[in-house]
Amino acid sequence: MNVILAWVLGAMLLTLLLAVFLWPGRRRAAGQGDGAGDRKPLFCEEYAAEPAIPVPEKPIPAEEQEKLPDKYGVERLVLMVRDPYWLYAYWEISATRQDEFQTRFGSGSWQSSRATLRLYDVTGVTFNGNNANSFIDIPVSDEVDNWHIHVGTPDRELCLELGRILPDGRFITLLRSNTVYTPRASLSDRLDEEWMWIEGIYRQFGIRRMLGSSPMLVEEFEGGAGIVPLGISSPEFASSLKGENNV
Amino acid sequence: MTLHAHLPYVRHPEDEHFLEEKWLYEAITETYIPLIDAFDRLIEDNIPFRITMTMSPPLVSMLSDKLLQERYIKHLNRLIELSEKEVVRTYGSPFHQAALMYRERFYGARHIFCDRYGRNLVQAFKKFEDQGRLELITCAATHGFLPLMTLHKESVRAQVGVAVDLHRKHFGRPPRGIWLPECAYARGIDEILREFGIKFFFTDSHGVMFADRRPRFGVFAPIYCPSGVAAFGRDMESSKQVWSKNEGYPGDFDYREFYRDIGHELDHNYIGPYIHPSGLRVHTGMKYYRISGKHEHKEPYVPDWAREKAAIHAGNFLFNREHQIKYLNTLMDRPPVIVAPYDAELFGHWWFEGPTWLEFLIRKAHFDQDIVSLITPSDYLKMFPCNQVATPCPSSWGNKGYNEVWLCQANDWIYRHLHLIAGRMVELAGDYPDAGGLLERALKQAGRELLLAQSSDWAFIMSTGTMVEYAVRRTKNHILNFLRLHNEIRANRIDEGWLSHLEYVNNIFPELNYRYYCWT
Repeated sequence: MNVILAWVLGAMLLTLLLAVFLWPGRRRAAGQGDGAGDRKPLFCEEYAAEPAIPVPEKPIPAEEQEKLPDKYGVERLVLMVRDPYWLYAYWEISATRQDEFQTRFGSGSWQSSRATLRLYDVTGVTFNGNNANSFIDIPVSDEVDNWHIHVGTPDRELCLELGRILPDGRFITLLRSNTVYTPRASLSDRLDEEWMWIEGIYRQFGIRRMLGSSPMLVEEFEGGAGIVPLGISSPEFASSLKGENNV
Repeated sequence: MTLHAHLPYVRHPEDEHFLEEKWLYEAITETYIPLIDAFDRLIEDNIPFRITMTMSPPLVSMLSDKLLQERYIKHLNRLIELSEKEVVRTYGSPFHQAALMYRERFYGARHIFCDRYGRNLVQAFKKFEDQGRLELITCAATHGFLPLMTLHKESVRAQVGVAVDLHRKHFGRPPRGIWLPECAYARGIDEILREFGIKFFFTDSHGVMFADRRPRFGVFAPIYCPSGVAAFGRDMESSKQVWSKNEGYPGDFDYREFYRDIGHELDHNYIGPYIHPSGLRVHTGMKYYRISGKHEHKEPYVPDWAREKAAIHAGNFLFNREHQIKYLNTLMDRPPVIVAPYDAELFGHWWFEGPTWLEFLIRKAHFDQDIVSLITPSDYLKMFPCNQVATPCPSSWGNKGYNEVWLCQANDWIYRHLHLIAGRMVELAGDYPDAGGLLERALKQAGRELLLAQSSDWAFIMSTGTMVEYAVRRTKNHILNFLRLHNEIRANRIDEGWLSHLEYVNNIFPELNYRYYCWT
């Protein structure tokens, strides 16, 4: 008897608890439904008659859950320019490289060597591995596969190698990057001037007069028809444009 | 004066109320239509003007897309309905005047969009070019950030080539100039531009100022790259005058306050149908307050006051240019050119009175003075074909002036994937240069997915930290789509059903020429 009573009480308690916990949820769900119901007819009434472009039933495939590959099995070291002072590099190296390395330099050589980025200043030279103007070494951890590099030298050409430094100090190259150029951060020191006259390109626009840099001509042009030529849509202009590609 | 009109390609046929599609709708109502309206009025009054305008390929594609046109009309009809309710609700209140203004603008927008230009606003800009008012130039195909793409020259070439093709298709003539996305230049890009007959591009001020050799006239005359393509450098003074946080025009107290939108402020039961169906509050475009001051308290917007301020500011801008030019004239052997480029979407969308300001500026420039003339780069190069030769400095107009915005800790991870798929696209195109049928369709779609993944907007959004999730999803989706297409092409097992689905969803550049990736 006692056992049955306990079961009944337990069941009642459970029902009560369920009711308490679930009731607000139900109410909220119902409220949302009402809201949607309120809005829907507005659209239907107003726009159903208009020609509508069919909306595909199939939603976009669930590729959103997919992840991008961590590795592509393509060995590469890529160097990119962020600004005059900073570069960014990323790389991918295959697992077999470690075995090859150990075969060449002895077992344990991978662990005893340090992964290093060697940044070469190759301004003005065609880099062949030995002819750089200078280089700096940046030790990196084995776990990383990309690095922001502070260079601090605008207006230089740079190339990067990923390698390992053996205990005896030898640098063994694994990958070499593309060459990049860090932008200038100041005015150029080169003050000699060179001027170009792109006559061929503009002859077909029908400008016969040589409008050089003579101030007189400039004034004449300014005072005359005004600087703004408005004949763009005129047939001569349009036809000269068509001819543009053939030149 | 250069306006750069661009929005990322956002088109989601699967969801009628896709949140990010609103970027386009808002820009149409608040920027493109007011600009078109202003240009039309100027032409009607027979006022000459010359403005350079970029129509970015994604924007041209979206404006001419039937599905998006359809959805825009629905969007606009809802706005009109809301403005009718608002005119009644605000009757007798200080907001009534603004409500009337919105109602008039929305009806006007519908008239311009549907009746005047047959739903395709590209036609409007083409008309302005045909009438000699605008010089339309192109941009990279998906606004890809070209300097971070130079590892594969072919992907830069495809960004330019696909854009030029689209421009020619829509505007009937090849573009003479290009707006490099984010004004971002790196060595060698000009040579690719020359392959496509492009005569000029723009850089930020230091792109020309720091050029090698040092330019004699700074940014006040173009320079020729050794390739013969001209580079025009941005003038700092005129830009600052408009956009500076402190002394810039858009912050004037009489101008409209951007952040106080009824979509965020009115009761949910009332505004519900006009915000996102999920209940998420979004901007409706109806904003009733003026900036008023630096404090939280805001006063009602008075359209007439704002209009008057726009006229004053236009006069001020012109006055300052006159002085600038008079001064520069004493230093130069030719008239200086002042390059004032702006993002078109800042006019109207952000700076509500921007299009009015521009209209006043054009009228004043025509009637009130004869020192400043509006001119486009082509006009200038025709008048002064002899220019100094110098190699521009790699640069962009982003924060700090170089590539950091698009290459920082928030987005550096995308490049190992982007470069990889670009490389694979080059290999594919090289292996199948004469594909036809299903294989050609797959190659073209692979090109589309690559281009869409390269859009600089995603990297930009990741670095700014808002809406990041969407940008990450778009980048990943396009990369994954590419990888799957690549595998199917290589395995000679193209899933036509899935390919058709992609062609339907990511339908930009129907005539894409994938051979740009193997063009030598």
